[in-house]
Amino acid sequence: MSLAATPGPPRGPAPGPGRYSIYTGRAANWSVILATAAFLVPLLVLGKPSDGSWLDLALPALILAVVVLLFLLTCSSIRTTAGPGGVSVYFGVLGLPRRTYPLERIERAEVIDLRFWYVAGGFWWTPRCTSYTLRSGATLRLVLRGGHTVLVTVPDPRAAVDAVEEARAARG
Amino acid sequence: MRWSVDHSARESLQHQIAGCVRHGMASGELPAGEQLPPAAELATALSVDRNTVLAAYRQLRDEGLLEFRRGRGARVTASAPDLSPVTEAAQALVTVARTHGLGRAELVRLIEELT
Repeated sequence: MSLAATPGPPRGPAPGPGRYSIYTGRAANWSVILATAAFLVPLLVLGKPSDGSWLDLALPALILAVVVLLFLLTCSSIRTTAGPGGVSVYFGVLGLPRRTYPLERIERAEVIDLRFWYVAGGFWWTPRCTSYTLRSGATLRLVLRGGHTVLVTVPDPRAAVDAVEEARAARG
Repeated sequence: MRWSVDHSARESLQHQIAGCVRHGMASGELPAGEQLPPAAELATALSVDRNTVLAAYRQLRDEGLLEFRRGRGARVTASAPDLSPVTEAAQALVTVARTHGLGRAELVRLIEELT
């Protein structure tokens, strides 16, 4: 994966005892929501039987509504918090599923320039990489102990990296 | 956006959290309509009680800076005051201070004397 890391100095003062400095960010997945709707609605219309009534479409429409609702609840956005508690990723309106990477598991945090063809459009997992990405460009990358890589789309990945580094420095 | 609270500070955690939101609005990190993190998630990350975060959000709502919508959490109101002129003036002040050799501590002290 040809991804260029972008180094940068930490911002802000180092946290002292009792001081918590965290980063929070939210990335909306509207492009995938719109693309899903644009793809499914024509399929629903095309699926209407030629000799049947529109009532025959009640069940497919209900299934479609449930799928869209589940999608909205789980994949409509990705929220990230980074700080002394590690990096947590929350999905959708309910914040579920949720995944937390504790600081002691994170070997390195950095900002990379994610190419378009590596964007997962939500969640993707391989034995070497877990991806929570919604767009290309500046992306947070965590390299875990053991070599596994985690990619997360956040509005300000540099600030997320700084929050992780400050928390690690405070922990010593 | 960045949130910083000091558990050993004299200022209450509620006011510190509210101050973070105000700072985010002033810096442009929290534009009108932006959704704030759910209280439970923010409370866990900052190691504070969930009610402390909710109290800070309610305080900002009472000031007209936030609005609560069912199922959509707390959002920055469209009628929130535009603080960009203050931010621009502050940036200009920092530039002038650096030109005249004033450091961060001296600048903060000067502002404290004036306010």
